Amino acid sequence: MARLPALILLVVLVTACSSTPPPVTQSPASPTTAPGAPAATTTSAATTPPDAKLVDPAVIQALKAMGGYLQTLKQYAVAIDLSGERVLADGEKLQHTATANLQVSSPNKLRAQMRSARSQRELFYDGKTVTLYQPQQKYYSQVEFAETNAVLVERLRQRYGVEVPSADLFLWGTSAAPLDNIQSAMNAGQDFIGGKLCDHYAIRQGDFDWQIWIAVGDRPLPCKLVITNRADEARPQSITVYRWNLNPKFGSSLFTFTPPKDAKEAKFVPLKTQQSQ
Amino acid sequence: MKYTVGRLLAMAAAATSLVAVGFSPSAEARPGAGGGVHAGGGGHARGGGDAGANRQVNNSRADVRSRDVRSNSVNSVNANRNVNINSSRNVNVNVDNHGGCCGWDNDYHPVATAAAVTATVAVTSAVVGSMVRSVPAGCVPVNYGGMVYQQCGSSWYMPQGGQYVVVNPPY
Repeated sequence: MARLPALILLVVLVTACSSTPPPVTQSPASPTTAPGAPAATTTSAATTPPDAKLVDPAVIQALKAMGGYLQTLKQYAVAIDLSGERVLADGEKLQHTATANLQVSSPNKLRAQMRSARSQRELFYDGKTVTLYQPQQKYYSQVEFAETNAVLVERLRQRYGVEVPSADLFLWGTSAAPLDNIQSAMNAGQDFIGGKLCDHYAIRQGDFDWQIWIAVGDRPLPCKLVITNRADEARPQSITVYRWNLNPKFGSSLFTFTPPKDAKEAKFVPLKTQQSQ
Repeated sequence: MKYTVGRLLAMAAAATSLVAVGFSPSAEARPGAGGGVHAGGGGHARGGGDAGANRQVNNSRADVRSRDVRSNSVNSVNANRNVNINSSRNVNVNVDNHGGCCGWDNDYHPVATAAAVTATVAVTSAVVGSMVRSVPAGCVPVNYGGMVYQQCGSSWYMPQGGQYVVVNPPY
């Protein structure tokens, strides 16, 4: 019975928390448009699902080409610079940065170093065991696993809440990266990213607007990815810049974790609330 | 859902002490540092052995509001589409489900989220948001949501800049 007052308080808290305005819906009405037919047309165009005219098939083709190319890579290393944003209670945004290095050997070997000012973590996967290691505290957590890198990144997220940096790199070009639920896709021109000429595409997909820059030429690698989260009206955005090395040299022990002498194990605890697919 | 309610109950319970206590940001709550940030330190340039990359930041002066996060940017257009749609709409999902909801870059534990909302004195012994140099004996390291915590009975700690911060139980 003591729960009741607490629950009431809870309701108040939840209400307060969720009082932030709901996500912005598409297409702000343009007051300058003459009333009547044109305005109505605009509205219906914005609210109806996938309009073929909004999806440039050449963009879908470019995404397919990139995904297909990524899936052909046997070995690569990629350095990742990320800027992310947190939205505070009142809608003010704070930006933070993090870096990662991925070393990948298809189909089932992966090493990821994740660095920020606040934490350092390393992920090892040798096709048999996946280890998450915190070098500063010397704690490691391990589980057995025997699938591809693409399956690994999904399972880690769903079961343990561990996100592998730029997980999209493993998913593009597979059925886990469907291209059929895109509401809008356009070519936005070209830009130089890290000195490389890249095609710039803009895609709207559900609550996410994303932009991708893909290298021009016969190696269509992603140069840069920007994701705008429209589920919050403050629209927090992440910016990822990739630097590729397609000829890395990997030592034989690179993907296998050997605990240092004084390292201790921290057991993985599966998420109590399982993540959606 | 049960567990979410449970967590919120704890938060709500803690909220009752809000008026009495007022804000207790981590800087003030740090033992031995006399409120000074650099004084007792341990957070700065610790050891300094392994190249500059191992220098550590000191976030103890950060305003509690900087941790009261209602939503985050996302890092993948494929992997966590659904998760983030949900989590970003409900701040409580973020609070309860840290690591399960957020990106690899999001290593800000929402310790002060509770502090900002409830100005917490938790029902447990250790004050959420306070910093300690070491954890009590007999703590068990646990990896939840990709972050290693020290579980010490009903108190939970997380490493931060060479020290430990008392956090709300992650689950």
